[in-house]
Amino acid sequence: MQYQSSLSRDELIELSLQKYFANVDAKNLDAVLDCFHDNAMLTIQTAFAVHEGKEGIRRMFVDFMAAYKTIIHRDFTCTVDEKNGRITANFVAELEDHDGNRTELHNTNFWRIRGDKFQEVYVYMSGENPLV
Amino acid sequence: MSKANYEHYIDIVTKRYFDGVDNYNMEQVLDCFHPDAVLTEVTSMTVHEGRDEGIKTMFEGLFDGFSHIWHGNFVHTADIESEAICSQFSVEITPVDGEELRYENCNRFYLRDGKFSRVFVYMSGDNLLR
Repeated sequence: MQYQSSLSRDELIELSLQKYFANVDAKNLDAVLDCFHDNAMLTIQTAFAVHEGKEGIRRMFVDFMAAYKTIIHRDFTCTVDEKNGRITANFVAELEDHDGNRTELHNTNFWRIRGDKFQEVYVYMSGENPLV
Repeated sequence: MSKANYEHYIDIVTKRYFDGVDNYNMEQVLDCFHPDAVLTEVTSMTVHEGRDEGIKTMFEGLFDGFSHIWHGNFVHTADIESEAICSQFSVEITPVDGEELRYENCNRFYLRDGKFSRVFVYMSGDNLLR
């Protein structure tokens, strides 16, 4: 689907890294969900897992934030297609659960923006999917 | 060489690279890469180094092992400023003497002077690029 985005290159990066990932890492659930449209869809493509609508995405993040003591996303490389309202980021995800077990993933996210929020998000993971 | 235009990024991925792969045209495929290019399959951390060494060997294995290869349904994130294009797409591929497989993959291509320098592949199933 082709969407109309109102965001500039810098705003696309700010939405994806500061408004989204920084708030995921800080476990600010409401701020994370504010990045999504009500009918947004988040797909973990490497696991064929789909989370539909803001409520489905909320449920996933509630479980994800509870499952891990520490969530860190770092070392972003962004590819930005301002004309089409799309941004892709490659990054490292560092997760530590409550038993001290650590997971490091090298992932890629694709975001498709409608207006100024996420309409579709696709995640490709280097390992087992923790976004269940 | 100045940075390529937007259309170049779309065209090298679809009309040259994947067209070459789907039509078993090794010369067309390899011409998209710099000699020192590296292709990494991230989901299994398999690294193929060098256009005429590791990458060529990988494609020889792919072409020998599969009787039909098709890439389509592309959605691109193309970025002239960072000389990169990230593409989501479907793959239909049939092993020799096997049933057709369907994948939903993505590639990240980083270019230098209009050709691939680094390529990263994520697969939704078992790695076929061994």
